Amino acid sequence: MSVLSKLANVDSRVFYWILFIALMVPFLSPIGFPITIAENTRELYEGITEDEVNEGDVWIMNFGYGVSAWPECHPSVTVCTKALFREGAKIIFMGPHYDVELTYNKIHDTVREDFANKVYGEDYVFLGYITGGESAIAQLASNIRSVYPTDHFGTPLDQIPMMQGVNTHEDIAGVLSSDTGDYGVHFMTQWQAAYGSKLAEIGIAMNGSTDLPRWQAGNYFGLSIGSRGGAELEILIGELGEATTAMDSISVSHLLLIFAVILGNIGMVVQRRSS
Amino acid sequence: MWDVIGLWIGWLLMLMIYSYPLYKENPAFRTAEHMFIGVTLAISIITNFSNVMRMCVTPLMQGNILMIVPLVLGLMIFSMLIPEYQWVSRYPIGLLVGTGFGLGIRGTIKPNLQDAIIDTITAPTSGGAMAWFNFLYVAVGLICSIMYFMLTFEHKGPLQGPTRIGRLFIMVGLGGYFGNTVLFRFTMLTGRAQFFLQVLKLIPM
Repeated sequence: MSVLSKLANVDSRVFYWILFIALMVPFLSPIGFPITIAENTRELYEGITEDEVNEGDVWIMNFGYGVSAWPECHPSVTVCTKALFREGAKIIFMGPHYDVELTYNKIHDTVREDFANKVYGEDYVFLGYITGGESAIAQLASNIRSVYPTDHFGTPLDQIPMMQGVNTHEDIAGVLSSDTGDYGVHFMTQWQAAYGSKLAEIGIAMNGSTDLPRWQAGNYFGLSIGSRGGAELEILIGELGEATTAMDSISVSHLLLIFAVILGNIGMVVQRRSS
Repeated sequence: MWDVIGLWIGWLLMLMIYSYPLYKENPAFRTAEHMFIGVTLAISIITNFSNVMRMCVTPLMQGNILMIVPLVLGLMIFSMLIPEYQWVSRYPIGLLVGTGFGLGIRGTIKPNLQDAIIDTITAPTSGGAMAWFNFLYVAVGLICSIMYFMLTFEHKGPLQGPTRIGRLFIMVGLGGYFGNTVLFRFTMLTGRAQFFLQVLKLIPM
């Protein structure tokens, strides 16, 4: 039996073990693969820093992802929250996932130092869970209070200092939607296309192919794609975090996968010829 | 203390779920799977119930009488559970479909058609040879891919070449999608690998 035939008959569970171990090794011993900055990520960062953000501007940060997508979306959201807070912007946090509260707690952990200088209700507010899909996002643009009569903790919006005079898309400087599905598109169709609102997407890698044309067409002023986008943003802000650490592991896993695909194809060609 | 216990429970449940690719359907996997479904369902019900109370019932109790309309429409949907009154549920569902369709049309034409077409047919003004290559690549890919789905005529004669090229472009596009999907799934797996090491205190939390 040739080496290739033996490899073809190896239990797939062996490959799973190799993969899992290969994923863990870079965390224990970082390799430091170089990371280049994509234009779409740079434009996102430039759109939320310096002259693009005025002190006191109110931005929406949409947590459109659940706990399972934290490795993909959260590093970018962390950097964007830091950047906006450091420019003196105020942030409305909200999200359409029922575990949105866990993500809100997580952002407090990952942006701890910046939150320490901010006051709830004056610099940021958490509106909580939103349901209703595209209709709710459209309604949010015309009357925030009809979708959120109170914040997540039950305080009426009229009693929250930061929300005084903030009720429509005209009072919002920009929207950052981070999501695994449709909510970025809902904000695009019901905010950006309808009213020309400033919108950027922090998406998962799986949606990168559909998000990129929208960034190129100008619907998104910037775009971060998956954990790779998060790593690029961490480099841009100058504070390396979990995405940069994870990139080595992801790169190793991809190299392993490419190697397995090539090996599998060589094996198939050899077997076909011999038979 | 409770945080530590929670971390270890999460760690254990993760291993139970990942036992599936290694040992197929097994009691550990099924236990974790059923727990996941149960807890997710419970959180979903509580969150949505609280949301209805916050958005609709509380304002109604405070005197906003108009809130009775969405509340009644919402309750009407439950009539689909009773076979002889199923027709009642069609009214709120029809309203939802109509509203969604109207909003969708309002928002979709500009970004998904107008902006996309303008961006595709606008020749690059900067970026040099590479920008022109990308512009032509997209143009040829778009035209040939659309021709591939032109099923009125048989793909023979002058249509044979462009439709074959179109098929190649579609395959490249699907490959790109699949590559992005693999990246997404692997990133999630990487997150779990990181969590695995963090709980064991081999890397910082």
